[in-house]
Amino acid sequence: MLPHLDDCYRLARWLTGERADAEDVVQEACVDAFRGIAGFAGGNARAWVLTIVRHAAYRWLRKNRPAALVSVVDLDALPDAQPGQTPEAALIAKADAARLERAIAALPVPFRETLVLRDVNGLDYREIAGVTGVPIGTVMSRLARARSRLIVALGVDEP
Amino acid sequence: MTDNLLVHAYVDGELDPAHALELEGTIADDAALAAERDRVQALRHLIRDRLSHERSPAKLLGRIESAVGLRRERSQPSWGMMAAAAVLAAVVASGSTWLTLRSQPPNTTAEMIVASHLRALMAPQPTDVSSSDRHAVKPWFSGRIPQAPRVVDLTSEGFPLVGGRIDVIDRIPVPTLVYRHRQHLISLIAIPAAGANAPERQTIAGYNVVDWSDGGIRYWAVSDLGAGDLDNFAKAFREASPDR
Repeated sequence: MLPHLDDCYRLARWLTGERADAEDVVQEACVDAFRGIAGFAGGNARAWVLTIVRHAAYRWLRKNRPAALVSVVDLDALPDAQPGQTPEAALIAKADAARLERAIAALPVPFRETLVLRDVNGLDYREIAGVTGVPIGTVMSRLARARSRLIVALGVDEP
Repeated sequence: MTDNLLVHAYVDGELDPAHALELEGTIADDAALAAERDRVQALRHLIRDRLSHERSPAKLLGRIESAVGLRRERSQPSWGMMAAAAVLAAVVASGSTWLTLRSQPPNTTAEMIVASHLRALMAPQPTDVSSSDRHAVKPWFSGRIPQAPRVVDLTSEGFPLVGGRIDVIDRIPVPTLVYRHRQHLISLIAIPAAGANAPERQTIAGYNVVDWSDGGIRYWAVSDLGAGDLDNFAKAFREASPDR
């Protein structure tokens, strides 16, 4: 009955970092969606629902993980991965799931949500721009920066 | 835009065919860029294989149904709640289902024409072929639909031609000419139909619609222009000779 529920759950799970918290966030988002149904203008239902999940997740983060929400200005100041540290594609392909999950969890929230919406949820750039409320150019640069951080993280030896 | 961002867009299938081909050429000459493409592809596959199949826990659905009132132990849900819950299920299940629930489908030609005009205003551009030259617009229709419409130049009357597009009215593709008057666009839709009738005006959803028949074609002009201006447009179009 709710085919987008898995998508909602995956986004909430990566934004909150915890599966149990994700359930609370998705439940809250569904209640919000239910209340706000009259405001739905038609069109892309999945993107609309994911937008509501994202709002609910941000509310949860503000309450429970305020440190995770760095401002966009701070984000621009973050150093990027240095060229030369980049591993071979074959090494990335072999990375195990636990390591990948740790690397994603370590991403700043705006990078993480862009990556998850694209590579886990499978939204296209235009949909991601709509859900996150930023221009497509910002989606592209966040996605590239998120991926380059993951690539570097998956390439170095674990401590 | 840097090539690096373009590599990501390429891997994500976001480049149009021309730019994708161009980038493939660039990658072929640049080993560093090729390695980046391979890394991004490897990462995408890794995430897709490992993370994108996670399902929501079965108990979550039950929690949500309770929270929004689909399941209530004590009291019967009110009709209003049940209706709202049904609409929520519909919207989450499919956007198109919701659209059909939200309003009755347009049933008259005039309503379909207003819907097409509105759709065109919301699109990135209101025309499929953009030209103020009627000798460019008319041939564009030939080959796409059985009968190219009469295209007249009304620039001197204050209605320059913007271009044309094809609308589908009642499942039939029909030619639509787009004219402009000041900042307002006018869609003029030509549908083959027998009979002859003088212009009649009506208002649908705040848009003025004028229709008339002429030479086996029923014309529909729709715009947010004032009624008087739209009447003038219809008059100018009817009186214009196509050979001017």
